[in-house]
Amino acid sequence: MVSPLDIVKKKRAEAISRIIGKGYLAPKRVYVGMATCEIAAGSKDVMEVFEKAVRQGLAGVYLSQKGCAGRCNLEPTVEVVEEGRIPVKYGKVTAEMAQQIVERHLKKGETIKDWVIK
Amino acid sequence: MAVRYQITLCDGPTCMHKRSKEIDAALERELASRGLSGKVDISLSGCLGMCAKGPIMIVNPGYTIYGGVSENDIPEIVEKHLVRKQPVSRLIIEEDHLYNRFFRVFGDVNFFGRQMRIALRNCGIIDPENLDDYLSVRGYEALAKVLSAMKPEDVIAEVKSSGLRGRGGAGFPTGLKWELTAREESEEKYVICNADEGDPGAFMDRSTIEGDPFSVLEGMIVGGYAVGAHKGIIYIRAEYPLAVKRLEKAIEASRNEGFLGTNILDSGFSFDIEIRLGAGAFVCGEETALIHSIEGHRGMPRPRPPYPSVQGLFDKPTLINNVETWANIPVIILDGAAWFSSIGTEKSKGTKVFAIAGKIKNTGLVEVPMGTTLRQIIFDIGGGIPNGKKFKAVQTGGPSGGCLPEAYLDTKIDYESLAQAGSIMGSGGMIVIDEDSCMVSIARFFLEFTQNESCGKCTPCREGTKRMLEILTRITEGKGAEGDIEKLERLGNMIKKASLCGLGQSAPNPVLSTIRHFRDEYEEHIKERKCRAHFCARLVRYEITDKCAGCAACRKVCPAGAISGIVKNRHEIDQAKCIKCGLCYKTCKFGAINKV
Amino acid sequence: MGNMIKIHINGKPYRVEPGQTIMQAADKLGFHIPRLCYHPKLSIEGACRVCIVEVEGMRNYVASCAYPVSDGMKVRTNTKELRQARRDIIELILDNHPLDCHTCDRDSNCELQRLASSMGIKKRHFEGERKQYDMDISSPSVIRDPNKCILCGRCVRICSEVQKVYNLGHAYRGFKTVVMPAYNMPMAESVCTACGQCINVCPTAAFVEKNVTQELFTKLNDPSVIKVAQVAPSVRAAIGEAFGLAPGAALEQEMTAALKRLGFDYVFDTQFSADLTIMEEASEFLERIQGKGRLPMITSCSSAWMKCLEQFYPDLIENVSTCKSPMSMMGAMVKTYFADRIKKDPAKILSVAVMCCTAKKYEAQRPELMVNGMNATDMVVTTREIAWMIKSAGIDLLHIKPERFDEPLGLSSGAGTIFGATGGVMEAAIRTAYELYTGETLLDIEVEDLRGLKGIKEGKVVMDNKEIRVAVAHGLGNACDLLDIVRKDPARYHFIEIMGCPGGCVGGGGQPYAGINSIPLDEDCLKKRAEALYNLDRNKTIRRSHENPDIQRIYKEFLGRPLSATAHKLLHTHYKAKGPRGITPQVAIGMKG
Repeated sequence: MVSPLDIVKKKRAEAISRIIGKGYLAPKRVYVGMATCEIAAGSKDVMEVFEKAVRQGLAGVYLSQKGCAGRCNLEPTVEVVEEGRIPVKYGKVTAEMAQQIVERHLKKGETIKDWVIK
Repeated sequence: MAVRYQITLCDGPTCMHKRSKEIDAALERELASRGLSGKVDISLSGCLGMCAKGPIMIVNPGYTIYGGVSENDIPEIVEKHLVRKQPVSRLIIEEDHLYNRFFRVFGDVNFFGRQMRIALRNCGIIDPENLDDYLSVRGYEALAKVLSAMKPEDVIAEVKSSGLRGRGGAGFPTGLKWELTAREESEEKYVICNADEGDPGAFMDRSTIEGDPFSVLEGMIVGGYAVGAHKGIIYIRAEYPLAVKRLEKAIEASRNEGFLGTNILDSGFSFDIEIRLGAGAFVCGEETALIHSIEGHRGMPRPRPPYPSVQGLFDKPTLINNVETWANIPVIILDGAAWFSSIGTEKSKGTKVFAIAGKIKNTGLVEVPMGTTLRQIIFDIGGGIPNGKKFKAVQTGGPSGGCLPEAYLDTKIDYESLAQAGSIMGSGGMIVIDEDSCMVSIARFFLEFTQNESCGKCTPCREGTKRMLEILTRITEGKGAEGDIEKLERLGNMIKKASLCGLGQSAPNPVLSTIRHFRDEYEEHIKERKCRAHFCARLVRYEITDKCAGCAACRKVCPAGAISGIVKNRHEIDQAKCIKCGLCYKTCKFGAINKV
Repeated sequence: MGNMIKIHINGKPYRVEPGQTIMQAADKLGFHIPRLCYHPKLSIEGACRVCIVEVEGMRNYVASCAYPVSDGMKVRTNTKELRQARRDIIELILDNHPLDCHTCDRDSNCELQRLASSMGIKKRHFEGERKQYDMDISSPSVIRDPNKCILCGRCVRICSEVQKVYNLGHAYRGFKTVVMPAYNMPMAESVCTACGQCINVCPTAAFVEKNVTQELFTKLNDPSVIKVAQVAPSVRAAIGEAFGLAPGAALEQEMTAALKRLGFDYVFDTQFSADLTIMEEASEFLERIQGKGRLPMITSCSSAWMKCLEQFYPDLIENVSTCKSPMSMMGAMVKTYFADRIKKDPAKILSVAVMCCTAKKYEAQRPELMVNGMNATDMVVTTREIAWMIKSAGIDLLHIKPERFDEPLGLSSGAGTIFGATGGVMEAAIRTAYELYTGETLLDIEVEDLRGLKGIKEGKVVMDNKEIRVAVAHGLGNACDLLDIVRKDPARYHFIEIMGCPGGCVGGGGQPYAGINSIPLDEDCLKKRAEALYNLDRNKTIRRSHENPDIQRIYKEFLGRPLSATAHKLLHTHYKAKGPRGITPQVAIGMKG
C-alpha cells in the first residue's frame, strides 16, 4: 500500500522537476518581494522591469515572486541568488534601480554594493 | 582568495555556553596570523536551533554547517576551507530541518541572522502562489507523516509535549486546547484559523499568510485530523485582499493536489477549508465574537464557559488557533516536539513573531526564540533608536498591552515575564517609543482605539473606557485635576476585573502600565501643566529667544495675531492670544522660537 | 440527590446541585446577587456585569449569571472590592443616563433606580459626555428612547429569541452603541409587530407604550360626546398588580366602576365581542372543513400576530380567519348597532378600548377596519395607562363599590372570558363549533391539553366521527415554529390558535410592570393571571358563546346569522402581504405567484 508519505515524496519530486523545468537551475535566481507591504512600496513596478527584461531575452535568470521577509523600511526588496555566492539582497529598489540591477548585476555580474542590505 | 567568505557563529545561549566566544576569538587570531583580517566577514547569529550539535559555525557561500567546533578546529577550517576552498568534511553536519529555511538566503544580514524563524520559515523564500515551491521545502510532509504513522492522540501528545502556547496573545497551551476539543463527542466539529489581525501596527499574520499560506493550511489539516473535525474556516479581515487571494489560491491548489477535500492522500481522512471575511471589527479577534460573526450575527463576545472547545461554531466543538500557532504545527511534527521544546524558556517554548515599529531603525518582522530580551530585539536586531534620540519605552501587545520603560529592557520575552512587568505578550505588536513621545498621549491613543472598538456589550468596557478616555483627554489638554490618576486606577482596575471579554479586560493596560512606570509624567501634566515631550499641544508654550533677528516671518504667519514686534527687533508672543498651532515655530529660520 | 456538590458562599459551606450557575445556586440559598441584564426566559447575555462575584483562584470577577458552580468552589458575593466595583458599574450606567427620574414613565418602577439605591450611590465620580439620540415616536404603539437605554439587551433577546421577529439589534460600537431596528428604520416602518414585549422586559423606560392618557382625560371631559369603553378580558386579571395586589386577583366589577367614575358613559366588555368572534369564527371553520376555504384555519385575534403574518408568512394569509379581532368587532358594533339603539350619531361616540396590549393601538389605526368611514376604535389605552389614570383621578380601585358592565354589549359567556389566556380562543371555539356541527352540547368543556404555558400545544376533538386536530401557539416565536410545521405539513392540523404574546393576552405588552420582587413575564405570574380568568369562567352559568342571550339578541335584531352579509361587512376583514421597507421579508420564498 502506498502511504501518504510516499505520495507526498512523489509529489515533491514532481514539483521540483516542474520548478527546474521552469528554469530554476539558471545561474541567477531573482526574487522580488510581493507582499502587500512590498507592493505598497512599489514592488509591482520593480517586478515589471524584471519581467520585461526576461521577456526581452535576458538569459540565465530564474524570476520568482516571494512574500515579505520582514524588513519593512527597506522595501521593496530583491534578492539575487547565485550558486557559490552569498545571496545578494537589495533594498529600497525602485524601477530605475531594477533596471540597473538587470544591466549591471544580471548581465555583467556586478554586485551594486551601495544598494545591498547589510 | 577571490571569494569573500562570510562566517556565521551561533551566539545562542547554548553555543555561547559551549565557548562560541572563545571560538570567535580563536578565529580572529587565526585570520590575523594569516593576514586575512578584514577579508572575511564574521557575524554572530541568534540561536540556530542546532544546540545539540553546537557550537555551530556556518561558512558562506555554500552554506556549509560545521558542528561541534572547538578552538582547536579553527586553524584547519581556515586553512582548508578559506584558503584551499576545501570544506572540512569531518565537521560538516547535515541538517534538513524545516525551521530557519530563510537563513540560507538572509542569514548573513544581522537583522535576519539574529532571528530564528519557525512560523515564518518560508516567508521571503518561496513563491506563496506556487504549491510546487512549498512542496519543494518539505511542504505537506508533516501532514503526510501524521496521516501515515500517527493516531490523533499521538498528534495531540506531540503538540502537548512541544509546549506550544497560543500565539494570539493569551498563551493558552495549544495541545491542551486540542485535547479538550478532541475529547468532545460530536459528529460535527470545526477548526478555525483566527486571522482577524486587528492591533494597530501589527502585521504578523498578514505577512505569514502572504509569504506562506500553505503552512497555515497544513497546520489546520493536521489540527482537524487530531480533533476529529472535517471542516476548517479561516476568518480573515477583508482589509487583507492579497492575503485572501493567496489563501484562496493555496486552498484551490491544495485541493487539486489532494491535500484538501475528501480522502486526503488516500488516507481516508477528509477535511476542507473555507474562508470567511471579517468586516473590520477589532473585537472579532475575540474567539466567541469571531464565532458569532461567522454564524452571521453581530460580532459580540459571550461569557465563557462554555468554551468553544465544548460549544463553539454553530454550537459544535470548535478548535480555534491563530495564524502563527497554526504555522508552527508542521515544524513541531517534522522537527519534533523534543527539538521545539528545546527552544525558549521553561514555560514558553519556541519562537514568537513581533512586528517592530515606531522609533526604531530597523522596522520589520522579527521572529526570535522565547527568552530573548527586549534589549536584544530593540537594539541588536532593531538597531536602536534613530536620530540620536533616547529610548523611552516599548509598548508590547498592542492596545491590550502595556508600556515598559528602560529599566525593563532586560525583560525576557515570554508570557509570564511580560505579564509580570505589567504588559502582555499579545499577538506580537511592538512599538518603540522615544523621548519625543508623551506617555499620557500614548495611553490615550490606545484607549481611544479600544473605546471605539469596544463591542458595546458590557458596561465596564463600553462606559468605563469612555470615562477613562475623557479623563486622559482632560489631562493632555491641561485640565487634569487632583485625583484624576486615582480615578483612572480605580476605573482601570475595575474594568480589568469585571469586563466580559479579553478586549475589556486588557483595555486599561496601556493606561495602568504608563501610570505604573511613568507616573511622574502624569503628575507633571496635571500639577505643572507640563508635557515634557512637548507633544500635548495645549501644554506647549512658544517663546521667542534672543536669537530673533526680527525678520517678522513669524508675525506674518501667525493666524491669531499673537506675535508683535518691530522689524529687526526681537518679537514677542502674546501667550493669551496664542492658539499653539506651532506655525511660528515651523516658520522661523533662525531657530529663535522655543517650544517649552 | 446523590451527586450534590459542595460550594462555599461568603465563607460558609453549602451543598448544591451541579449543573447550575452561581446565581441560580445563590438564589436558592437566599443570596440575591444584584443583576440587570439577566432574565430567566432569555439567553445569558453577561453584559451588565452587575452580578459579578469573586471566585477563589480566578484572576477576574465572574458573572454569576453565566458561570457554573463546581465542587469546592469558593464564592464571595459581597466583599468591599466587589461592592465598589458593582457600585462603579451602576454609576457608569447612570453617568450615561438622563437624570430625569421624576418625569420618567418608569419613575418608582425602574430596575436601574432600584439598583442605584441599593448600591448606595450618593456621590458621582466619573460624569462626562452623555448620549443624545432622538426618540423614535413613529409607532402608534411602541416608543423607543435610546437615551434611556442601558444596553442590557433584554429587548433584543426577547424580540429575537422569544418573538423571533428580530427587529431589534445592537448597532455601532463602543460608547456609540445603540439598540435599534435594522438601518435605524423608524419603528413604524420596521418589522416591529408592536407586541410590546420589549416594554415588558426593559428595566428602564427605553421602550414604553405611546401614552395617550392626557388626551383621553381631555376627551372624557367633553360633554358633547358619548364616551364608551370596552375592556379586554386580561385587563381585569392583571390590573390589581398595578395597585399592589399579588397576581391572580380578578377585579372585573371594581374596574368597571372605576371606568364609570373616570367619566365613561358606557362600559362594555370585550368578552361580549369575543363571544361574537366565536360565533363567526366557529361558523367560518365549519364552512372550511366542509370544503369552502383553506385549512388549517388560523385565528386572527392578535394584532401583533396579524402583522407578523403579513410580513413573514404572507403565504398563509388565506389560512387566517377573516374575523376581525374582538376589539374591532366591538368597535364596529358600538358605531352601528349601539349607536342605532341609543339613537345617536356614531360620529359623536368616542370608542375607547382598554387593552392588555400595545399592538391594539396599531390595529385601531388600520384603515381596513374602519366602519362607515369612521374608526371603529378611536383610542386604545393599556392596562398600565388605565391604572395610572385611575390613580391619577384619585379613584380607590380596591375599595370601590363594584358595578356591572352595561347593556347591550356587556354580557359575556365564560368562553369569552378565557380568550385572555393562551388556548382560550380555541377552547371557546370548540365549545361552540362542536354544537353547531353535531347539534349536541359539548359537556366536557375544559380542554386541559390546550391550557398552560407549553410553547406549542396540540389537541383533538371528535365531532360526528370526524377527528379535528388543533394546535395552539403563544408568543410569536412559538407561532413561527408552529407555522413552519404547517408549511411542511399543511394537513397536520385543522384549526390553529395563535397569540402574539407569551401566555396569550395575560402576558400582553400593555400589562402592569413587574414589581419590586418579581420578574417581568414571570411564568408564575402569567399562570395566576390565566387562572383568574379560568375561575371567572367556572363561576359563570353561561359558558358557551352561542348561549349568551345578548349574542342571540344581536343576531336576531341586527346581524341576522353568522357570516351573513351584514356580519361580513362589519365583522370580517382581509389581510395583505407587507414587505417592510428596506428589508426583504424573511420568507418571500413561501409566497405564491
